[in-house]
Amino acid sequence: MSILGGGIFKGMAVTLRNFVGSYINKKERLPTNDYSWRADGALPQGIGDYPKEKGEQLSDTTTVTEYSRNFPMLLHDGGEPMDTVRCVACQICERECPPQCIYIEKDYDENGKYIKRPAVFDIDVSVCMSCQICVEVCPFDAIVMNSQFELSTPDRFGGLLVRRDDLLKSNDYYHKIHPEEAAARDQKMAVEKAAKEAKKKAAAEKAKAAAEKKAAEAAKEEAE
Amino acid sequence: MSLVTDILIATVPLMLIFATLFAFTTWLERKALARIQNRIGPNKVGIPCTRIGLFGLGQPAADGIKMIFKENIVPRGADRLFHLLAPILALIPSMLVLCFLPLDFPWLNENSVKAFLLDGAVIFFFAITGLNTLSVFMAGWASRNKYSLLGGMRAVAQMVSYEIPLVLSAVIVVMMVGSLNAAEIANAQAGWNWFVFTPWGFAAFVIFFIAALAETNRSPFDLPEAESEIIAGYFTEYSGFKFALFFLAEYIAMFAISGLAVTLFLGGGHGPGLTDAPWLSVIWFLAKIFTLIAVMIWLRGTLPRLRVDQLMGFAWKFMLPLSILNIFIAGSALHLMAGDRLADLEEKQPVLRQLMEGANLPVVAGLWFGALLILYVAAKGLNQLNRPNVRPREYKYAE
Repeated sequence: MSILGGGIFKGMAVTLRNFVGSYINKKERLPTNDYSWRADGALPQGIGDYPKEKGEQLSDTTTVTEYSRNFPMLLHDGGEPMDTVRCVACQICERECPPQCIYIEKDYDENGKYIKRPAVFDIDVSVCMSCQICVEVCPFDAIVMNSQFELSTPDRFGGLLVRRDDLLKSNDYYHKIHPEEAAARDQKMAVEKAAKEAKKKAAAEKAKAAAEKKAAEAAKEEAE
Repeated sequence: MSLVTDILIATVPLMLIFATLFAFTTWLERKALARIQNRIGPNKVGIPCTRIGLFGLGQPAADGIKMIFKENIVPRGADRLFHLLAPILALIPSMLVLCFLPLDFPWLNENSVKAFLLDGAVIFFFAITGLNTLSVFMAGWASRNKYSLLGGMRAVAQMVSYEIPLVLSAVIVVMMVGSLNAAEIANAQAGWNWFVFTPWGFAAFVIFFIAALAETNRSPFDLPEAESEIIAGYFTEYSGFKFALFFLAEYIAMFAISGLAVTLFLGGGHGPGLTDAPWLSVIWFLAKIFTLIAVMIWLRGTLPRLRVDQLMGFAWKFMLPLSILNIFIAGSALHLMAGDRLADLEEKQPVLRQLMEGANLPVVAGLWFGALLILYVAAKGLNQLNRPNVRPREYKYAE
């Protein structure tokens, strides 16, 4: 039997801890203002000082913390982005996206044959709600969350539509901004790949065995 | 002529002090909410043309300047007259009731005009705050906007409902003091005899505080202006200085209702050190008001908004029976303790307090325990009764 109204006091204790803690343990309680991970040392050091003047903006690779995720990006495995892009334009994320901010077109070669990569991959910043559902549904680990937060732009129309080439980021970058998550994802992919290969191998062996059996039977028949 | 001067002496400081406190409170609220939500809050606006931030204390001034210079937009279909009148009407009652708070400023002498010495000050207070409902609905109606109208109608339903537990919990204090005079109520709590330190007073204070939150449209009862549902409700169509007036009125109403709570339950201006420095009473009064405001801000940072049916159910099926029960408890305790001495007690005295002071410790402890137990069991029962007959929510994705 719970105390009537006890939940209110529980909630108030949580907010009080946050309030008092933000004056004592700034690093833990004011995580959005921790620029400990930064591209260069040119940023203001004080808490909450960012940005006061032009030129103090964060650089492209700056993230707030390892755990901040606010906008999707497309992963490639290094080298020429479009050669190693993981996305195969299966359009699962486009269909699952709750605010429908993703637009994908498949890529075809000159013979009209589908090559597994997107020709167009646009995400509308103004519509995206950072829900991360695209990341969860992607079977190819091709789309993950970026933590870059300087997405404001003076161009109200084109500027808010992030194109494919801007979304493409290397796996190395991913490791840089979200080390834990990236390592876990790589491991998962390796396991999956190994399982797939084992299955393939097993299937091949089975086929081989069947072929041998068939050959043996044929030989038997011939002998008769 | 001297009457006019007297009235000015009595009222102008109130307006100045509370308007300043309003500016400070907006800053305080934004800072506190930010800290609760792991943010920093306003910290840039300080002294102009320098980079001195002063913890963002210049923010209220910047907000005020912005509000004044903003365009005043009136929707095409709106009723221009009432659209203009509503913010004014919102401000006037909340400013007016400040006079009924027993703030004994040092510059007031015995012959000064003191509204709180009025014999029906508490009644006047409730009567005048009731006007707020009208202004809110006027704003909603005159805007010719469906969200405004929805907000206005929500406000009327909410404020009318919560006024009843509010007044009924104030009745406890009137029973204890035997007077509606604000100064007498405050004086009856001299020393540490605050009414919040009696069992029924404590229960009444809790009810009063909750109802006060609803009366001033504070979170978690901010349905009339629910930003996420009906886009700021009745002041959707207000901009510029008219909006600032609404904002001001809301905060002044907060001060006023907190001031009444302080007068009724928290001993008015009484506190330590009054014998040496009588002027401290104003400081104590304002400090107590600010404690209540801080709790309001804290609650705003903590609790989510109620649903409309929960809100009305809470007022009518929970608070109203409890406040009536509380009156019965106070009445029966009075009779139990007084017995046949009731007629002997002096009429214009804090009756119940006289009795409480006369009672010995076990009796007081028994009263505390009994009264709070009855109220708690009743509250628990009401809670069970009001529980809607629905299955517990099944989560699809979250675990």
